Amino acid sequence: MKKLPILFGALILAGCVTVPPNTFVVTPELLQQRQLETRRYDGIKEESLITASANVLQDLGFNLENSETKLGVLTASKQRDATDGREVAAAIIVALLGGGAMAISKDQTIRVALVVRPVNDSNGKAMADSHFVRVTFQRLVRRTDNSVIAQTLREPELYQYFYERVSKSVFLEAHKI
Amino acid sequence: MKTQLPIILVCLSLLGGCATTNQRVLDSGDETQLQKRSYQSRIFETSDKEKVLRAAISTLQDLGFVIDRADLMLGSISGTKLDGHQIKITVSVRAKGTDRMLVRANAQFNITPIEDPKQYQDFFASLEKSLFLAAHAGE
Repeated sequence: MKKLPILFGALILAGCVTVPPNTFVVTPELLQQRQLETRRYDGIKEESLITASANVLQDLGFNLENSETKLGVLTASKQRDATDGREVAAAIIVALLGGGAMAISKDQTIRVALVVRPVNDSNGKAMADSHFVRVTFQRLVRRTDNSVIAQTLREPELYQYFYERVSKSVFLEAHKI
Repeated sequence: MKTQLPIILVCLSLLGGCATTNQRVLDSGDETQLQKRSYQSRIFETSDKEKVLRAAISTLQDLGFVIDRADLMLGSISGTKLDGHQIKITVSVRAKGTDRMLVRANAQFNITPIEDPKQYQDFFASLEKSLFLAAHAGE
């Protein structure tokens, strides 16, 4: 039984990991995610909307990494602590039970991409002052054994909170405060 | 142990067939340059570069990618998807003549290039939907 991990490791090395099927197909779950990540803003120019959004990212402590305002793209990231009380407690219990040191989350890089695009009218023409904002959050968590967990954040509350901030920022931008 | 040893040996022998550094830097496999280009590219009947780029950005976001960078002049977009694994993709858009756009994509999964034409077919099918335009294979 103890050889099992070795065997498993050897199998992974031999290249058993493949691209998941339907990686490049837009599934209903992904469309749901799009709903969650997108908001529409009316009565504001693209330039003002992207400026307001960049300000929110700064409010949230992100550092801007890249931008191409001609395409409405902003990317930002930040490094933060990732220790989780429950995880630490579990690790202590495992250690007390003689299970050895369990790897726990140490720190994380949080990445965000924000894209502003014009809403198309019924003729397929871009409208000047109606836009969609779409934001996606990802994080890379580094654990104490230096392994990395990569994930996309999907909690609706996170996106709600973010867009509340954007709405406020749009208001401030519109009133030049 | 005796029964597992042959299996471990087989796996290790597969490792023995690994590529050299040059092959890895150049990604030179069994495919020709032309083969790779043909399944990684499509032509769209539009002269609007910005529209194609914005559609590509939307498509990548729909597919769960975070956009890493974009450049209108160069016509390129790069994105990363993290979902227990990492997929990186670069899409480039350039004019082909005066009224068509050539879209090219290349992607990697963790540390291997994606060389399955089906994956690119899926990507271009998703892009077609977002552009409301049919894609044509390049020449």
